[in-house]
Amino acid sequence: MLKEALDGQVTVVYNAIAVSIQIQVEPVGRWFEAFLKRRNRNVSASFQELEEEEEESEESEDEEFQLEEYPLLKTLDPKDWKNQDHYAVLGLAHMRWKATQKQIKAAHKAMVLKHHPDKRKAAGEQIIEGDNDYFTCITKAIETLSDPVRRRAFDSVDPTFENTVPSKTEAKENFFPSFTAVFDRNARWSIKKHVPKLGGSDATFEEVDNFYSFWYNFDSWREFSYLDEEEKEKAECRDERRWIEKQNRASRAQRKKEEMNRIRGLVDTAYSLDPRIKRFKDEEKARKESEKKAKVEAKKREQEEKDKARQAELDAARLAKEKEEEEAKQAALLVKKEKDVQKKAIKKERQKLRTTCKNCNYFASNEMDSVKMLEEVEKLCDRLELVSLQALNEVLGAGNKDESKAALEKQVQEVNTRIQRERDAEVQAQQAARAAEQASAGGGAESRSWNQEDLQLLIKAVNLFPAGTNARWEVIANYMNLHSSSSHKRTAKDVINKAKNLQKLDPHQKEEINKKAFEKFKKEHTCAATEVDNAVPSERFDTPADSSATPWTTEEQKLLEQALKTFPVSTAERWEKIAGAVPGRNKKDCMRRYKELVEMVKAKKAAQEQTAGKTKK
Amino acid sequence: MAAIGVHFGYTCACVAIFKDGRADVVANDAGDRVTPAVVAYRATEQIVGIAAKQGRIRNANNTVVKVKQILGRSFDDPEAEAHKAESKCPVVNKGDLPKYEIDTGETTKYVSPDEVAKLVFHKMKETAQSALGSDVADAVITVPFEFGENQKNALRKAAEDAGFKVLRLIHEPTAAVLAYGIGQDSPSGKSHVLVYKLGGTSLSVTALEVNSGMYRVLATNTDHSTGGESFTHALAQHLAAEFKKSFKQDVTGNARAMMKLMNSADGAKHILSTLSSANCFVDSLHDGMDFECNVSRARFELICSSLFNKSIKPIKSLLEQVSLSTSDVNKVVLCGGSAKIPRLQQMIKELFPEVELLSSIAPDEVIPVGAALQAGILVGKDSLPMGEDSITIDCCDKDILVKEVDESGEELLNVLIPSGTPLPARRQHTLQGPGNLTSVCLDLYQAQQRLALIVLRDLEPKEENHDIDTVITMKRDGSLHVTCTELLSGRSESVTIAAAAAAAS
Repeated sequence: MLKEALDGQVTVVYNAIAVSIQIQVEPVGRWFEAFLKRRNRNVSASFQELEEEEEESEESEDEEFQLEEYPLLKTLDPKDWKNQDHYAVLGLAHMRWKATQKQIKAAHKAMVLKHHPDKRKAAGEQIIEGDNDYFTCITKAIETLSDPVRRRAFDSVDPTFENTVPSKTEAKENFFPSFTAVFDRNARWSIKKHVPKLGGSDATFEEVDNFYSFWYNFDSWREFSYLDEEEKEKAECRDERRWIEKQNRASRAQRKKEEMNRIRGLVDTAYSLDPRIKRFKDEEKARKESEKKAKVEAKKREQEEKDKARQAELDAARLAKEKEEEEAKQAALLVKKEKDVQKKAIKKERQKLRTTCKNCNYFASNEMDSVKMLEEVEKLCDRLELVSLQALNEVLGAGNKDESKAALEKQVQEVNTRIQRERDAEVQAQQAARAAEQASAGGGAESRSWNQEDLQLLIKAVNLFPAGTNARWEVIANYMNLHSSSSHKRTAKDVINKAKNLQKLDPHQKEEINKKAFEKFKKEHTCAATEVDNAVPSERFDTPADSSATPWTTEEQKLLEQALKTFPVSTAERWEKIAGAVPGRNKKDCMRRYKELVEMVKAKKAAQEQTAGKTKK
Repeated sequence: MAAIGVHFGYTCACVAIFKDGRADVVANDAGDRVTPAVVAYRATEQIVGIAAKQGRIRNANNTVVKVKQILGRSFDDPEAEAHKAESKCPVVNKGDLPKYEIDTGETTKYVSPDEVAKLVFHKMKETAQSALGSDVADAVITVPFEFGENQKNALRKAAEDAGFKVLRLIHEPTAAVLAYGIGQDSPSGKSHVLVYKLGGTSLSVTALEVNSGMYRVLATNTDHSTGGESFTHALAQHLAAEFKKSFKQDVTGNARAMMKLMNSADGAKHILSTLSSANCFVDSLHDGMDFECNVSRARFELICSSLFNKSIKPIKSLLEQVSLSTSDVNKVVLCGGSAKIPRLQQMIKELFPEVELLSSIAPDEVIPVGAALQAGILVGKDSLPMGEDSITIDCCDKDILVKEVDESGEELLNVLIPSGTPLPARRQHTLQGPGNLTSVCLDLYQAQQRLALIVLRDLEPKEENHDIDTVITMKRDGSLHVTCTELLSGRSESVTIAAAAAAAS
């Protein structure tokens, strides 16, 4: 029981209310679901209110519905109910298949209230008894429309539905207006809701694609049982019923097929005429072409770039090389110049020394000594550096004869000792090398000396025993060992290594080896001859280490001997002349050869004296 | 469309079907409405249910029981320790996940708890299918309140692997409340419910608030050391003592004999819930000696008296925890097989003398029935993408009251919107004022704080009482709008009370 309001009390807010709190609830129960639904829909009103509102809106819809007066109702033939328009009978001609069950029911109710025979009788109207009254039509109409299956059957053959499909020619001009209407009309048969619209000319590819894929896979609920000629219910026996059913099924299937063909034809026509499809195809083609072009271009560009890069690289390399070469040339030129300068200086000095020596008659009293001194001086010229030569020349030029001689002799001695030392060192080195060779007897073939004969032999052996010979390299090695003149025992491994090395050598080198071998062979024969002749073997003594000169051939020897005879010691520029008489040999070579020959003769004489002395004893 | 609710407990699993607006538990192929959650592995097959439980005597090492204890836990989870210690089937560590080592003759298989759970779920699905005669996938699964995220996920995954489409996981106590449809009739009103669950191995007591048809757990208390098995164990010990007395033989050391005794005690315990005495009979218990013993209900209650006390204790502490008295509790829901024990029911009844004890649905079937009802609500609807199993909503903080006077003239406060009402809320009350007055006032309070005063004047005095139609709307932020209309004259007053934070800003 509420209290009475006191005087002066008015509606007033005293305090703010506490803020809501957050609480965890269990996700169970229908009220939880309702709450969630409400929250997800973001509805602030309470759930009950919402439901009430929904109900209200439905009711208002019902009231909106108005009946159409249908004066032709009375003209209908109740017997021919099958051909009547049930919607028109119920006054729903304006709504047709869109009418809801509720509206149909309401319309029927209104019709019954108005046209029921009892009502009309009460109104004093004439009634035809039985089924012949037009009220039967109303009953049939509601019977058909209230049953979803039968209503669907009726809707499928709705007499107001325009089955026509625009032909290609007539729709070509105005594609969108004509086809939009047709597709909208036929969309009602779709089982699926939300039929895609044809859209305008600016529709995207997806929309158009979606539209056509929908219509090509169109699933229609349209069926033609309403048009069945025979009614199954009328049959008297099972067989007859079956026969009727069969007939009906066949005709329905036929009609359904026709319907499907109709839709298919419609879609085909639309597809072929659709300007958008054409546009898309063109676009696609253009795109593909451009893609192709771009690809080709890209490839080309790539190739070009590659070429350019390669060219640039090559250019750079070439430039670098050129520069290097240029530099090297410059350096070489410089070095050459320097060398030339030095050479000139040295030459000058040498000349000076020679002339001084010559002027002093080689500080010798007799011919023998002068020749020896000449030799020594030549040696000095060869051996001494620029600086020491200069010093020597200075001494020679400045001092008197004795001093000069002493200085010269000192220099000669020094040089001789140096040569001796070098020779010793070389002999030692050779010995050491030989020792090393012997130490590594089993080692690689490189350490073994392969002389020309052996090489020749090897090549021969290799050719003799071609690849594929059983235990080829052993056989070759044995062959070598049997035929080789050298004391080395060669193993298969050595042979293989050498052969490989030989193979590695380029053909030119091989040729050279062959040539050398031939030369040697020739020389050996001639040498043997000369030995017999004058017992001056060309190669009995080691040539000086610094001498890279090739050994003297017999012809050369002969020529030299001849020249020595023609140009006696007193001849001016004797050695130059001698050198001129021996082709391929310079003055130095000739002098050296002469010295060697003298030494040899001396040695021979000494040996002869020794043997003579021995025999005397 | 049918949907099912599955309760997968520590010892037993149970399935209920929702069909034609009703939820009912279905019996399995053995004719039992509850299937033991026991899986036995043999050389070529896996057995689920009562056959596995009975075969455990001979095949203990390859029989998995209470898999739920270890489901979704890592190997070194302290919660899983007890299970590992107790399980006869060896539990080994495989990549930090526990696996059962199953010896199938020549090879050793490692089976994860998830697979075991899956088998149990599969059995439940088969049971539901055979009862329905058609395939059913939509299911609501219950989980204990204390389950963590990992365990929930493991349970959900096991159910999905078994072919279920899990509509939602709901908590066991709320499923029990839902089974009785508490608060489901009308979306208003507020009550407190206590759910007492005594399962096979655990005891859990939960206090719930039901407000506007929504359930909210106030507090829960779980004791994993007490359960139906404790009673069975106590009884088995008693039987062993009896055996020793008559045969001078100690069987407590004989594991297989003890298992036989446990099975026998289990049966006797069940019988004692309905009859006043039960016969225990074990063939060849020990050394070929048969054992027979008669246990009366009084004897059983005597043996288990301490256990009963232990089982009742958590209720009091829980109520203290949420500061409710026994009279504040409007309903008590019993669930779990052991809640059938008459002595226990009696003790709870003594604790809540004025409260209705809900046990009309068999206590061991309450939870699956509730789950099935929830499944019925959810099935066929667009399931909400809910990751969480409970959601947070805005609620009214404190009671909204109106001050009235009773016949004797004494002032009293009547609740218009109870605290904890989910917002937004709209409540319509028809308040009455004495007909002889020309003015009435509504004095609105929130708890002890005066909120507002609404005054209606110039009413026409009449014989009957004035009917004041009061519509109270509370928005989500807590602000309140009250409209009062005197029905006869149509005179109305309205007031809007802003929420504190809104008013401050």
